[in-house]
Amino acid sequence: MKKKIGVYICHCGGNISDYVDVEKVYAEVRNEKGVALAKITMFACADANQKEMEADIPEKDLDGVVVASCSPQLHLTTFRAVVERAGLNKYDYVHANIREQGSWAHSDNKSGATENAIHVVKAAIAKVRNAESLEPIKISSVKAVAVIGAGVSGMRSAIALAKAGCKVYIIERDHFVGGRVAQWENLFSTNETGEEIIKRLYNDTINNDNITLYTGAQVLSQSGNIGSYRLKVQINPGFVRNSVYSYEMDEAISVCPIKIPDLFNFGFTQRKAIYRNHSGQLPIMAVIDDENCTRCGDCEKVCKDIDFSQQKKEINIEVGSVLVASGFDTYTPKNNEFGYCVIDNVITLPQLKRLVAMSDRHLEYKGNRIKNIAYIYCVGSRQLDGENKYCSRYCCTAAIHTATEIRRKYKEINNYHFTRGVRTYGKQEIYYSEALKMGDVFMQSFDNELPEVLQKGNKTFVKIKDILTEQKELKLQADLVVLVTSMVPRDGISVNDLFKLPKGRDGFLKEIHLKLRPVETVIDGITIAGCCQGPMNLTESVNSALSAATKSYSYVSKGELELEPIIAKVDKEACTWCDACFKACPFDAIIKVEEGFKVFARVSDSICKGCGMCLPVCPKDAIELNSYTNREIEEMIDMLASD
Amino acid sequence: MGTLNAKFGKKLAKYGTFDFSACYNCGNCTAVCSLTDQEESFPRNMVRYSVLGLEDEIKSSLKPWLCYYCGDCSAYCPQEAFPGELMMSLRRWLTSRYDWTRLAGLFYRSVIWNIIAFLLIAAGVITYAFHVNFSLEHVMHVGHLFEIVAIAAVFAIILMPNIVRMWWFTIAKSGEKIPVKAYLISLRELFLHMFTQKRTLDCEKHTFRWLEHLILVIGYLTLLFTTVFLDWFSARNKIVIVFGYIVSGLVFIVTFHFVFNRIIKSKEVSRFSHHSDWFFVIWLFFMGITAFVVRLYIDINIIEDNLWLYLVHLIILVQWAVIIVPFGKWTHFLYRSFAMYFKKVLTSANQ
Repeated sequence: MKKKIGVYICHCGGNISDYVDVEKVYAEVRNEKGVALAKITMFACADANQKEMEADIPEKDLDGVVVASCSPQLHLTTFRAVVERAGLNKYDYVHANIREQGSWAHSDNKSGATENAIHVVKAAIAKVRNAESLEPIKISSVKAVAVIGAGVSGMRSAIALAKAGCKVYIIERDHFVGGRVAQWENLFSTNETGEEIIKRLYNDTINNDNITLYTGAQVLSQSGNIGSYRLKVQINPGFVRNSVYSYEMDEAISVCPIKIPDLFNFGFTQRKAIYRNHSGQLPIMAVIDDENCTRCGDCEKVCKDIDFSQQKKEINIEVGSVLVASGFDTYTPKNNEFGYCVIDNVITLPQLKRLVAMSDRHLEYKGNRIKNIAYIYCVGSRQLDGENKYCSRYCCTAAIHTATEIRRKYKEINNYHFTRGVRTYGKQEIYYSEALKMGDVFMQSFDNELPEVLQKGNKTFVKIKDILTEQKELKLQADLVVLVTSMVPRDGISVNDLFKLPKGRDGFLKEIHLKLRPVETVIDGITIAGCCQGPMNLTESVNSALSAATKSYSYVSKGELELEPIIAKVDKEACTWCDACFKACPFDAIIKVEEGFKVFARVSDSICKGCGMCLPVCPKDAIELNSYTNREIEEMIDMLASD
Repeated sequence: MGTLNAKFGKKLAKYGTFDFSACYNCGNCTAVCSLTDQEESFPRNMVRYSVLGLEDEIKSSLKPWLCYYCGDCSAYCPQEAFPGELMMSLRRWLTSRYDWTRLAGLFYRSVIWNIIAFLLIAAGVITYAFHVNFSLEHVMHVGHLFEIVAIAAVFAIILMPNIVRMWWFTIAKSGEKIPVKAYLISLRELFLHMFTQKRTLDCEKHTFRWLEHLILVIGYLTLLFTTVFLDWFSARNKIVIVFGYIVSGLVFIVTFHFVFNRIIKSKEVSRFSHHSDWFFVIWLFFMGITAFVVRLYIDINIIEDNLWLYLVHLIILVQWAVIIVPFGKWTHFLYRSFAMYFKKVLTSANQ
């Protein structure tokens, strides 16, 4: 209980005193219980006043301070710093807002504004009277980060973390690194290929002593919290002994009897159960896909590097933070969505990109030479009826870039774009201009009158009501119809579920605040990077990867973390463990403790966010929230409700 | 329903246009156009049809003829797609479509074929002159006869059928019933526009250009009348002689100014020149100046010793009458007037 409280009432140069009778407030509060000093000041935040406060506190031996001024958003930290400089604890300071919630809100009612201010200041005094000094919670933090995913985002953030001197474990589910970018040829604006980019990142990754790369790996379980996450990782073997490119290995691949669709080429080609990396993917080696291999042993007979004795390994790693860069999937159109799966020559944009990568002098599909390509935009995004309401952002540019690349490679091709409004934002507009100048044709439809793909005989037609041509009906005989598909959240990512990472309405992982805290999640110590958060192009993915790396690094760099002490605490004597708080806690911060016969709840300091959800559900009233104790709140209410 | 055809752009490029596919549909061109209105909105709509390759729609449209090329659309185009130049090229393309002989298209697309035709004609004239032993009297007589025959033949064999074809594409083909009365009451529009080209005045800042054009049209027609019907080169009447000097002088002075503008490219309208534009102004200029000098040589009595001068004049005249008038830019004068007429016919039929 504080007995010597200093109260400072601010004019804010007329902002407050024009409507609130500051003198009257002063007169009303100077004799409040515990108030040892009350002052009126023109600008509380001014240097002179701050110095005066710093002098007052030791001189009058003050043990609590209230400043009645503007919003705490503006100056709470200012005055907390003042009291700390004068030797008090920062929680010995309470801020009363009589400007934004007082004079400005009630400028039409001066006496009412004054009454309001008196009550607010009295409540602040009541709170500070009961305030307790608190110290930040300090926990140790392991100077290591786990990066989930070895695509561009994952590798780029790992390199940044490793260069800062942090130990990094990259956990990649596939046997090869590179993710989606490995699948693309020329990338827009720099005209590097996906392969070149991946090669650069891979070399930097494996040549850095701080980085340990696990491929064919997945996280099985996790425990702990920020500063110390313990992950159990399973590493699947590739069953191949050395990665040298050998004739025998070619032989082993050719004798393998198992054929499955190759997802790298979106099912255009088939691969064996033993297969090599595609160009773009690294490391250069062959692996056996455990799931599809029947252990027939044919490969073993022709190649001595096959080793079926390799076993799954489980390893445990401990990290201070986890950076999730688990990437995206491409949207698979529904059966007969724009003729997909039903009409022969309807494919998706990612498929087209692989088709071009695999084609030579002419672009051919199913034996037919392609002349006219129709691109249908916004497939799987901006859906009027479907679930994907979002704009997938990257696809307009990707489609236009691919179309112009195709035109450069195959002169005889004409591109027809059936858009819903071209969104090549920022510098990408250059590609739109270029495509126009090259003679690509762009049409646009409303979202309730989408283009139609029809088959007549063995010909495929695309029809549109073009809003750029007085809504005229236009028709094209297309040799190939390309559905410009969106990015969708990736399914089956174990860490998403293990960490209970929250998802947005679009199904992508969700940040705390899109603008102000864009790479942090509500789970402390877990950051997100790249397309697991939403559709991004490569530039944006790398921006977010570096941002997430910086944030993750800030959790582990000092080896120690300071956490806000405003958390819940349980009165172990009063608690009888009914598990109501355990169920109410959204962060799993409540731990069941058994000491002899006594069973009670304990709050994990490092997990609790101080949200207060456990408080009202406790039937024994055994939980209190630091800095918002029952006594503080009750006395504040008394003051606010008094005459 | 229109059928998309991106190859049309490549075809059109041979008629002079370029970069029109850069259009991103902002509509600035139509917004700044002084001639566009609610019923006949252009040029954006024509740019769009060209990008999409809707040949039939363009062929049935009168809009390219309603543009008098002030160049504002090209000047204000943020994409530098030069819609004004596209409209010009569409007029050339339409001319080639209207022309049943298909020669117009050939001459528009290829400068080589023009030169071959010009050379053949020159050779023909010289051969004939050789045939008659370079007798001035003979050559001049036949030259005069040729003028009369050529006018009649070009009109009857080429221009008339082509105008009928234009009528078929733009009016009749749609199957719309047009009462004869509509054709009759609209006739005034045909002659008004043919002789005054007054629509040019609606283009902002084009009063001087209109005046030049008007002088040229009247000068040209009068020169035609003077040489053909008043037989200027053989005339004795002082008034006729002086009149001939004045009109031929007017023709070469005004065309000299046009050529000069095309060389210095001072205005949007003269910034880009297709070979058909050059041939048109240069041949007109030569026609005026050679006619002037021929008559001058007659008057100072040295024409006998300078037969070559008349031969040059005759070659230019024949090239003009046989190539440029039926298949070149000259026809624009005719099609423009008929476009205004057909437009009037359609509006009066709809009332």
